[in-house]
Amino acid sequence: MRFLVGYTATPAGADALALGVRLARAPGAELDIVLVLNGGERATLTPTDPGYDRLLLETAEGWLAEALTLVPAGMSVHTHLEHADSFTQGLLHAAARLHSNLIVVGAATHGLLGRFAIGSVASGLLHSSPVPVALAPEGTRVMGTDETIGRVTCAVGTKPGADGLLAAGIRLARRMDAQLRLVSLVAIDHPGADEHTVALAADHAQAVLDFATENLMDGLEVTASVASGSSIEQAVRGLHWDPTEVALVGSSRLAQPHRLFLGSIAAKMLRELPVPLIVVPRDFALTVEE
Amino acid sequence: MTQQINARVVVDQKAGGISTKGLSAGSVGLVGAVIIGISCIAPAYTLTGALGPTVAEVGLQLPAIFVAGFIPMLLVALGYRELNKAMPDSGTSFTWATRAFGPWIGWMAGWGLIAATVVVLSNLAGIAVDFFYLMLSQIFGNSAEIAGLAGNPFINVGTCLVFILIATWISYRDMQTTQKVQYWLVGFQLIVLVGFGIMAFVHIANGSAFDPTPVSLSWFNPFAVTSFSAFAAGLSLSIFIFWGWDVTLTMSEETKGSRSTPGRAATLTVIIVMVLYLFVAIAAVSFAGVGGVGVGLGNPEIQGNVFFALAGPALGPFAVLMSIAVLSSSAASLQSTFVSPARTLLAMGHYGALPPAYAKVSPRFFTPGYATIASAVVAAGFYTIMRFVSEDVLWDTITTLGMMICFYYALTAFACVWYFRLQWFATVRNAFFTFVFPLIGGIILTVLFCTTLVDSMDPNYGSGSEIFGLGLVFVLGMAILLIGVVIMIVQSQVRPAFFRGETLSLAAPRYGEE
Repeated sequence: MRFLVGYTATPAGADALALGVRLARAPGAELDIVLVLNGGERATLTPTDPGYDRLLLETAEGWLAEALTLVPAGMSVHTHLEHADSFTQGLLHAAARLHSNLIVVGAATHGLLGRFAIGSVASGLLHSSPVPVALAPEGTRVMGTDETIGRVTCAVGTKPGADGLLAAGIRLARRMDAQLRLVSLVAIDHPGADEHTVALAADHAQAVLDFATENLMDGLEVTASVASGSSIEQAVRGLHWDPTEVALVGSSRLAQPHRLFLGSIAAKMLRELPVPLIVVPRDFALTVEE
Repeated sequence: MTQQINARVVVDQKAGGISTKGLSAGSVGLVGAVIIGISCIAPAYTLTGALGPTVAEVGLQLPAIFVAGFIPMLLVALGYRELNKAMPDSGTSFTWATRAFGPWIGWMAGWGLIAATVVVLSNLAGIAVDFFYLMLSQIFGNSAEIAGLAGNPFINVGTCLVFILIATWISYRDMQTTQKVQYWLVGFQLIVLVGFGIMAFVHIANGSAFDPTPVSLSWFNPFAVTSFSAFAAGLSLSIFIFWGWDVTLTMSEETKGSRSTPGRAATLTVIIVMVLYLFVAIAAVSFAGVGGVGVGLGNPEIQGNVFFALAGPALGPFAVLMSIAVLSSSAASLQSTFVSPARTLLAMGHYGALPPAYAKVSPRFFTPGYATIASAVVAAGFYTIMRFVSEDVLWDTITTLGMMICFYYALTAFACVWYFRLQWFATVRNAFFTFVFPLIGGIILTVLFCTTLVDSMDPNYGSGSEIFGLGLVFVLGMAILLIGVVIMIVQSQVRPAFFRGETLSLAAPRYGEE
């Protein structure tokens, strides 16, 4: 598997890199560290200056070299400088060129309106990426890069048709040699959500568990549970989270009907999640093949 | 292992296509280059700021001075282009003068550039404030009260600081408008200025002009200017009106299409701007005359910002368009001007001529963040002090600015001559572009600088503001240069490496050498 880290020399970039390194500890994995600079194609009223551009290039190379020092010896790693009109676009181009299986970015932006946990970059990716996107929460870097991924939690939702997400979870857990946990998140105060829904969710989780058990290779542990609360946030809070785990969520699978706004659900989860979140696009199955 | 990884990084980046996509390779077409050029010159802002002070010096010979002012600008810009080709560096004048003349002169050249741009930033913001309140009053039914708010120093300074803050924010985050918006901004500016000229002539034809003055050939005769002092002062002001044009020449590597595109862009830009300047200048003088009362261009009350006074009488109900044009022109110019001091400060930090903090590049926005904020703070402080010290802050800042431009442009021109001294006569082209042109340009600017400096000692110079019996412009110019010298000496004690030539060395390449 090839992991692409969207890097900036900021705390958020360090978060992304830390998560990328941990993911890339899986056997046979490769890591690409990509730094996106503004492309010359972009319209500016400020005249471009070759001297400044050159200095910027040198600085960016310095940043990438610094990033490399955080990568443990022996890991297969490449750095790339990409020029694009936006960070999002640059990452998508690089991901396509490098045949990446996953894009990792730092999720936290604490700007003036800093209570939103998902920045414009993450949001742009979540609405356009053909490959899964991992959001490293603020502070991921503090944990370091030594731990591998211990458990993969798949938020499968109660709607049918989560097979794609499930397949991604299974594949990732196998790759990482991690446990797999299947979770149904149920928000009680949503219209139409009641005891019956919770029961349905439990049934569904059981069905999913059976499916996963059948499809797992030997030696992998798989569990299933239902998490409920008055809101998605509370349901997420109610679960126990292992520091070394990652959460998988399908893009739009979790939402209730007519609540398909991906960003808001992902943001809700992310705000509560103490662990990285990986958002898997609907048609990811094409890209998860190695 | 780390070394292996690093080695691979280098290979990867070569293969990663930096050279093809990102930087130098074709990005700006002919129209784009012309748009950037005009936007940097900012004709609406420049004219409103420079028309009055120039008329004060040369009277009716305004058109002649505008044409003459272009000559030294062109000569220096040609040298600038040679240096930029040989040593592309974000420090521009600072780096080049250091390479040619050593750290001390190089430092002062950088200082001159920073001072000039900081002064123009404060002037730009000041003009924007005037027009902001004028626009508000025009929108709310020509209430003189609102327009008068700009005259209250506290409101004025407060608004100005807000404008500078916004401009800094935009520069720091490197926010850019789309190409379409840029075309509209520049196009609108040109249309309004042409409209102003046409309306002025319509008023003259109808007999409703303020002080109809028949156009005469003598307006184009620079020798009709009464004294050399006036001529020199007018010239240094008209260098300001073309300031920014040189970027079209140095965008050479970025323009796409044939190799002749940059030259064509620069030529086209200067033709458009020159025609526009002459047309508007002639229209303004014909319409309002150079008398000292009312909206006459000789009236010291309006000279710092003439369109502020002329827009109403000439454009009538459409005067608000002029306010919008000048405001948008100032905004675009603020944005492109902010880049200059920030990049030079960055280079000075980078080479150890200033504290290393100035060399910081924002890892999120890829702008010289610290240097940008530092320039903004200084520009804001400068404007605040000037607003309370000067009788006519806009006028005095423009005159000081002209002097500062002469100072660092002259140093840059001489740096070109001296840097290329071993290859002057290698080719005929070199003889002109690295020797004759920049040398003449440098000498003209030096003469202008000295003349302005000496004349401005007179307390009646410029707007007539004075300190200790000396003209404010003189005091300002000297203070700025002396502060530069003091900071330089302090830096030479704190950070001697640069001043020993360890970070940027002297050089004089032979023909064909790098």
